[in-house]
Parts: sequence; structure tokens; C-alpha cells
Amino acid sequence: MDRTEYFNDLMARMEELFYHELSDCACWKTEFVGVDFIQSREIRGRTPQEIIECCIKEITAAGLVKDISYSLGGRGILLYVRVQGCMHLSKEAKLKERGIKIYNCPIINMILDQLIEKLNFETTYVAEIECDFVNNACLIKSAIYESKDKIGNVCDWSDECRLIDEENKWITVEC
Amino acid sequence: MKDIIDVIIDRKSIRRYKPDPVPDEMIDKILEAARWAPTGENYQPWRFIVIRDQKTRNKIGDLAKVGSGSRMTAWYCIGHMQKRFEKIKDPEKRAEVLRFMYSGEVSEFSKQAPVVIAVLGDLQVGAVDVPYDLSAATENMLLEAHSLGLGACWVHGPVATSRDAIKFKKILGIPTGMNAYKVICYVAIGWPREQRKHPRPKYPLKDLVYWEMFGNKERP
Repeated sequence: MDRTEYFNDLMARMEELFYHELSDCACWKTEFVGVDFIQSREIRGRTPQEIIECCIKEITAAGLVKDISYSLGGRGILLYVRVQGCMHLSKEAKLKERGIKIYNCPIINMILDQLIEKLNFETTYVAEIECDFVNNACLIKSAIYESKDKIGNVCDWSDECRLIDEENKWITVEC
Repeated sequence: MKDIIDVIIDRKSIRRYKPDPVPDEMIDKILEAARWAPTGENYQPWRFIVIRDQKTRNKIGDLAKVGSGSRMTAWYCIGHMQKRFEKIKDPEKRAEVLRFMYSGEVSEFSKQAPVVIAVLGDLQVGAVDVPYDLSAATENMLLEAHSLGLGACWVHGPVATSRDAIKFKKILGIPTGMNAYKVICYVAIGWPREQRKHPRPKYPLKDLVYWEMFGNKERP
């Protein structure tokens, strides 16, 4: 039996039922999914980059994903993450097949949790999750707020993300 | 007796309040209205915390501001907020409304409301569908407040995310375990300081109602 598929089936059913109960609010309730793993690791760092890269090393070393790259921007609040070869991708595929919006990424939850726990960030918010099932990749846009005064720092993320892609501003962490 | 439909239709969410205090008798009537809401198996899981202390209301207002502001800033950055408010044609007015939203100021008003009532459900009383019972109680509170001439608003923002719900519970000393209490909202109450723009546009019943079977719009 493929244990990963088994657990992804369970997660997909749970997320489907949860979405049915809460519609778009479901994504606001799942931010702790995944944090147990990352909180069990020694994540250290003094800057967002150090924390993010330490998380990426632990996540990839554990085999949860094949590769993660990231970019920071958006007037200091955009964290743009590209996840390659995630073990949860089949869970997302099942949700998409059933017409459910993809809303719960344990991998990004881990990174955001550590920004809050280790650097005392005020809050974070997962704004968009896109899955590319052909290339086994996910693109995740999150807002990370170091302090209250960062809230309201708006700009056009579609432009920023296009430039990151076009100019290959992705930071890849060697693991 | 006045038809309840008049109270229902006339009610509007009020977010600006006069500083005048709300008499205790009125607060009691609002809580009494909540207590008589329908509840599965008569479990009555609702509990209420009445907050008048300015410092506590400030903390709740700050939490609500951060909650709404963090979400709306992100929604603006990915273009969702602009679509939501594209009906406002005047660009300056639209920009001001958007700024009011993504700054989070839109949700800060518990600081000005003389009374805030947190609505929470005891998850250990054998309750079924706690959020539904609490929602019915909250609606009763809004209607009673309106019928008394008060303004009120149902606010979900500061308890919308799991992390914020814990922060909210800590402000009020509510046990934070996921097995204990669920906070679904607070209700801000005070004497209205804003004009009611009524009626707000509502979909006509013919677009909302089916007869006998889903999809059948013809009344038999």
C-alpha cells in the first residue's frame, strides 16, 4: 500500500468536508496544519531569509518536497514560494477534481508559523495557491507582516511575480 | 403588535456610535433575546461576555484591525479588492474606500462602541452544531438592539483565523483549547451616529426561491 496516497486521500476528504462546512472561510482555519512537524525541528535565524531557508532545509531533508525556491518583495510583505515535488500534491489534485478550491498548504503553513514563532511577526496570510499538476509544482503567494505598520503596504503583486519569473529572481536553497 | 418583518428589513449594520452609554436594562433585553434563540436539543451552548472596559475594547479593535487589514492588503495586492469595489466610479472615492478597507480601519470600531458582547459556545455541553445556535442568538441580539433604537454590528473579523481566535480568547481570559469554547463573533452595540442608507440592494425573491425541487422557479 502507498501510505502517502492513503494519507493524502484522508486529507483530501477532510478538506472537502471542511470546505463544504465553511466555504472560503475554511482556509482561515487551517493555518496550524503542518506546524507540528516544523516545531519539532530546530529552526534558527535572525532574519526572514534565514528562517525561510532553515525551514526549507528541514522540509526537503525530510523528503516532504523535492525542492523549494522563494523570493521576497511586494514592499516587504510578499513571500512568493515555488514548491517542486510536494508529497501532498495528489491531495490537491483530488480536491481540484472535485471542484474544491485548493486552500491548505501544510508546507507554507510551516514557514509562516516559524516567521511568527521565531521572529515574532505580527501575522501572515496565504493569499493564493496555484498548482501545476503537469510540472508537479505549486506557486504560493503569501503576505508576511513583520509589524502592524506593514499592513496596508499595497502594490501589484502580479507585476512583481511576473518579474521574478522573467528575471529568475528565485532564491534556491542548497540542501 | 408590530410585525417583526419591519424590524428585520429596517435593520442595518451600524459601525459608528455616539459615546453615550447603553443602559443596563437594554443590554439585559438584548441578552434575553439571545437566550431565546432556537438551539438544537435545547443544549443552549451560548455564553456571552459583556465588555464595556475601554482598554479591552481597544485590544479587540486592534486585533480586528490587524485581522481585516492583513487579509485585505493581500487581497488588494492580488487584485481582488479592486474588482469588489469597481462599482464606485469616482476614482478618489474608490481609492479612499479601498484604503479604509485594506488598512483594517474598517474593523476597528469596537473602540468606539460603548458595549461589545462576545458570543462564544461551550463545546463540552453536549452541543450540536454550535455555530448555528450561536448565529441564531446573534441575529436575535441584532434585531432586539435595533428594535430598541440602538445600532449594532456582527463582527467575525478578529476570530476569523485560528491564530486570531486564540489571541481574542486570551484578551478575555477564555480557555484557549480547541476542545473548550468556540468564539464565533462579537456584537458591537451603541447609539447610532450614522445615517441609515436603506434599503440596501437585495436580490429579488424570484432569484432565490425554488418551488418543490431545486431549480424550479415556477410557483405551482
